[in-house]
Amino acid sequence: MNPSRRQFFKNSSRIFLAAAIVAPLGMFGQMVIRFLYPKKRSDHWFFVSTTAKFEPGKSTTYKTPEGQSVIISRVKETGTVDDFIALSNVCPHLGCKVHWQGDDKTFFCPCHNGKFSALGKPLTGPPAKANQELIQFPLKIEKGLLYIRVPSESLFRISKLNSKHRGCTNQRRTPA
Amino acid sequence: MILKLKGWFQERLPVSGEQIRELTNEPVPNHMKHWWFCLGGTPAFLFLLQIVTGILLSFYYSPSTLTAYESVKYISESVPYGHYIRGLHKWGATFFIASIILHQMRVYFSGAYRYPREINWMIGMCILLCSTVLGFTGYSLIYEQLSFWGATVGANIADSIPFIGPLMKKVLLGGEAYNANTINRFFILHAAVLPCVLAVLLFIHISILRIQGISELEFSSDKKQKNKVFNFFPDHLFTEIIMALILMILLSALTTLFPAHLGEKANPLITPEMIKPEWYFYTVFRWLKLFSGTFAVLSTGFIIFLMFSWPFIDSWFRRKTKYQEASVWIGLFSVLIIISLTAWEALVVH
Repeated sequence: MNPSRRQFFKNSSRIFLAAAIVAPLGMFGQMVIRFLYPKKRSDHWFFVSTTAKFEPGKSTTYKTPEGQSVIISRVKETGTVDDFIALSNVCPHLGCKVHWQGDDKTFFCPCHNGKFSALGKPLTGPPAKANQELIQFPLKIEKGLLYIRVPSESLFRISKLNSKHRGCTNQRRTPA
Repeated sequence: MILKLKGWFQERLPVSGEQIRELTNEPVPNHMKHWWFCLGGTPAFLFLLQIVTGILLSFYYSPSTLTAYESVKYISESVPYGHYIRGLHKWGATFFIASIILHQMRVYFSGAYRYPREINWMIGMCILLCSTVLGFTGYSLIYEQLSFWGATVGANIADSIPFIGPLMKKVLLGGEAYNANTINRFFILHAAVLPCVLAVLLFIHISILRIQGISELEFSSDKKQKNKVFNFFPDHLFTEIIMALILMILLSALTTLFPAHLGEKANPLITPEMIKPEWYFYTVFRWLKLFSGTFAVLSTGFIIFLMFSWPFIDSWFRRKTKYQEASVWIGLFSVLIIISLTAWEALVVH
């Protein structure tokens, strides 16, 4: 074999080996990213309560399958789905939990003094400056039953352990 | 730009390319060109694979009796490529132990454990034992029927060791029987303690190998060659890389064709009709069935002791008798017994 041909074979075998290392590593890397990347959440409709039980001015805390709390209130009495509003209790500013303050009828976030109206509109604090509203979840009424569309479970753990706590918890007076 | 960057690093880490080359360019004897002699690098690669896949699995695995089985099911059925990563970890473990056994057999039959390499043989034995315990604790984490009862039987075997047995069982299980603490202990042992111990053992094993150099064998085909040695980097490393690539293909094929199984969830009230440990415990398991508890455990301990001290027994035997290669026949006889016991256990139900 003359030297140039030998060199050619040497170089091409090296390139071949490099490709044989890089290709599976790249493929495995892609698998690892897919493995670690959180699964896409899918939303589903869940039953909340009968509309007849829901008087105007009343609210309830609904626990989603992922463990998040949603405050559902009846603000009007027209008999349509627009009577109801479902708001997340997570402050859109930095994710703290808001709570209802009966005296001034607002949702208050203790982390940075953000305030929201009963309809989730920002009133004061950082959320007002950035015009961040409380996240609203879609609702629907079917045959007198109220349903909410929320992310469905993606974690086996919560579904396993919290199944008995899921759904509506305490009903209480106001926000509206 | 690159030169500037190189200068920046050189200033802070004054290591020359020549020094790095010297560190990696260990001359390797010619016999290492034979494929059979890549068996030492194989467990090293598989150890790395086990670490990577193990870390990935622990992102989802939840070590508690309430959630362990569900989390494994979730990994296998819901997480993208979860079945593949779990399969690689499972088959990787099987190959890891198999390659250690093959490596040990190669070292044994080529007499590479003899003076001055006795210490490295004993460290190798520690690596083998550590790997089997890793396999045992890992299998128990799935929390299916077989793994649950396997862990229970394993802990009770420890119990029958005189004096320290009951204490070992209690420490391992975190109580008198399998309880809520057990799976956490197994997880910490499997995912933190034993891998660290194994990493240290492997480091010492390879360091001693580098200090002593590889024992030299000469095959008839090597005699014609002018050079007695060749370079580790890149020549031998290429061989190891090719071996690693072939292993990955094999492991991927096995994972696809025979995915990691998930049986029924553990039920502490019902023992399944057929309990089998992982294949590498078949010999010990059959041995335990052949003899009474304490005798079986003590004799197993004695055999392990003999394996540990074999370099010294062999040297004594070679000095005192004229049978210079008796170890080969003893080795063949032992391998035959191990294969027979394993096959026996594999073929019968009880």
